[in-house]
Amino acid sequence: MQEIWAALEDAAEWPLAYARRYKQETGKRVIGILPMHFPLELAHAAGALPTVLQEDREPITVGQSQVYTFYCGYNRSLTDQLMRGEFAFLDAVLFGDHCVQLLGTADVIRSEMPEVPILFNQLIASLSAPWALEESQGTFRQLWKELEELVGHPVSAEAAQRSIRLYNRNRQLIRHLFDLRRQGRAALSGRQMQVLVKSSMVMDVEVHTAMLEQLIAGLPAAGRSDRVRIYVSGHYCQAPKPELLDMVEACGAEIVDDDLYHGFRFVSTDMEENIDPVDSLANWYLARNRRVPCAAVADEGADWDAFLIDAVAKSQASGLLILQVKYCEPHMYFYPEIKEAFERAGIPHLLIETDHEEMPIEALKTRVETFLEIAKRRIAA
Amino acid sequence: MQSPAGLQTALNPASPSFGNGTRANRLKATKQGGRLVNDYWSDLFEAKESGKKVIWYNGTHIPPFFQAHDLAWVHGEAWSAYLAAKHGEIPAQRASEERGYDRELCSYARTHLGQALLSIKAAQEGKLGLNADDPRALTMAKLPLPDMIVNAYPYCSSGQQWDDIVYRMFGKKIPIFTVTIPMLWGGRKDANYLAGSEWDERSQYVAKQLRALGDFLAEHTGRKYEWDRLGEVMSYIKRASELRLEGMALCAAKPAPATFFDWIASIAHLNFMPGTQDIVDYFQLVKDEIEERVRTGEAAVPNEKYRLFFDGMMNWNKVGWLADKFASVGASVVAGRYTHMSFWQEPQLIDLRDPVVGMAQNYLVCPTNHAAPLMIGEINKACDKYGIDGMVMHTARTCRAMTNYQFLIADSAKHRARPSLFFEGDVADESFYKDELLNVRLEALIETLDAQKRLVA
Repeated sequence: MQEIWAALEDAAEWPLAYARRYKQETGKRVIGILPMHFPLELAHAAGALPTVLQEDREPITVGQSQVYTFYCGYNRSLTDQLMRGEFAFLDAVLFGDHCVQLLGTADVIRSEMPEVPILFNQLIASLSAPWALEESQGTFRQLWKELEELVGHPVSAEAAQRSIRLYNRNRQLIRHLFDLRRQGRAALSGRQMQVLVKSSMVMDVEVHTAMLEQLIAGLPAAGRSDRVRIYVSGHYCQAPKPELLDMVEACGAEIVDDDLYHGFRFVSTDMEENIDPVDSLANWYLARNRRVPCAAVADEGADWDAFLIDAVAKSQASGLLILQVKYCEPHMYFYPEIKEAFERAGIPHLLIETDHEEMPIEALKTRVETFLEIAKRRIAA
Repeated sequence: MQSPAGLQTALNPASPSFGNGTRANRLKATKQGGRLVNDYWSDLFEAKESGKKVIWYNGTHIPPFFQAHDLAWVHGEAWSAYLAAKHGEIPAQRASEERGYDRELCSYARTHLGQALLSIKAAQEGKLGLNADDPRALTMAKLPLPDMIVNAYPYCSSGQQWDDIVYRMFGKKIPIFTVTIPMLWGGRKDANYLAGSEWDERSQYVAKQLRALGDFLAEHTGRKYEWDRLGEVMSYIKRASELRLEGMALCAAKPAPATFFDWIASIAHLNFMPGTQDIVDYFQLVKDEIEERVRTGEAAVPNEKYRLFFDGMMNWNKVGWLADKFASVGASVVAGRYTHMSFWQEPQLIDLRDPVVGMAQNYLVCPTNHAAPLMIGEINKACDKYGIDGMVMHTARTCRAMTNYQFLIADSAKHRARPSLFFEGDVADESFYKDELLNVRLEALIETLDAQKRLVA
């Protein structure tokens, strides 16, 4: 078990090193994927290792030459990694999400690595539009075509369906672990859950799935703790700093559920397996927002605030911890609604603004302790 | 002791104390333009009384679709800019901040959302919650509430989320329609400005949605959409656009007869004002004045020494201030991305018999909606055309759409011997503007340009 955890932690902590080794050992392509809703399946079906490009821990230095300080830490970190040459080994970058900051970063990547294809196929962000499905199908059809040109051979529907099955299996196993944690049957920390999801974003899916199966088989049974159960929300693109999650738990909280990209959001939805893969991809993209709403898209049928109220109740959490990435506009737009909904419902909530730098954990501790104290009193009342 | 009015003047003098004190020689025609803008807002304030339904919209210059259907419209950005230009944005921004909207959020959106909050409060409680004598409140109280919401935002993801929030603020009870205007990434082999398979596909995609917009408007007014009227409206807009572009082209003359700031004062007329003979007449007036200035050699900046290009969104709090500041060092800001690369920039694409595809294409050619390689190519062409010496990069703090890839633009300019200055500000939040920083950087740019000229000599 320890070996498995060590391997997963290593991949999560050093995803580019993992990808470089993978490329060297297998001779396969490595394709970078940008968040938030872009699937990995097609790149995998094309014979490559898809790896979601991650924020790293280095301070932003040379990247400042191409990105303003008032862009989110993820975009600044990507730009910095780019300027340090960390992405030079990538064979392509795929993305499609509509985030204005991400679009700018992708342009800088294209400018700095002109020899590397940067394939942008924009996913419709207006999900209630009558043409949302048709447009999504067209987007994935175009992506498929461009991927075939990139790899120089056709990508069969069977290969895509196989990749879909592999990723479904992987998601299902991770969701099983989320269920166990929610039910108090598995003592998995916030940091560990992040490792599980983050490593799934960057590792060979079959290897990762095999590790998950072993992990689940050997997972010790756990009873429900008496710590304050909390739900964590936010972070559409980058992982919250594990130290932050550690601190929250050290203060007496138990993170029992989340809607983080490096959490339940990423594994929330499976793709249909026995239909045209283009339809699977398009249906998945649209369905995903109904499972876990995202503020970066407009969907008349989805309400993030209502979803969170419901999710907190289902997970029997006593409070909501909102981790809002500094300069993340979608989240800034929605935060007031969430705050008001939780105030109406009488559920304690705490907003913490996170950033790549300048986030001294100790300075946040008092706020978290107070939040947990309030939650405890509500439970007692 | 100074009176409040005197104190206000001392704190906010009309012109900067900087340079040689020369002020910009603005086009006289823009005063007429200002009157038209005021008339537009006055008409809008009376829209409900005249029985018109009101649309709140954000994004591109889509009002011809509303005008052709006898609707009134409020452009959220324009409203925010209007308040900012009149130094009346603070109550709205305070209202949005009180609800919890972060100060780093687009200040256009923050101002407009604050206005929405106050308007909703006024509708529910009969008062805005501001001092009734406050002139800012008097203006804000006049804005009519929406009957429909339309979003048509190129490139900027924030724009779509903004209207989604407006829709939610009104309890999802006001019908909303979103036109997706996808970015032109230009990654395909045949990609070029106004050409290639991506351009063709995206043109048709946007046109399809615009036709559906007509259906939406018909559905929510109970009236058939008159597509023929659209061609009529567009005939005025097309002609006004042609005159504007002809006037702009004349500014390649040295000294430049008009500046970027004159064109800023003329944005509203093509961005959101009705397509009528009035705007044709206005741009004819502008062009005539420019022609006369070219003939007589009258400069927009007396003793023009340097010619600059303005990149970035306008700082609406500081239009006149910046015009005078640059003039005071002999710098004529001749052209800009915001003014010269948008607002019916390609009128020849519009077929008045069936204008929808050409309109879609003009929406696609937004000055942010092209990815960097194509956009920078177009900027470089404009700089060559207008004989630009250097670049002014406005770092609009809360506008990620127009600050994206500004470093790439500056880098490209540098390779063409055009140095850049960057200055911080914002579209509608004055607190991000730091005057002294611009002073120092502008002095440095002027020194650099002088040194370049000495080297050439």
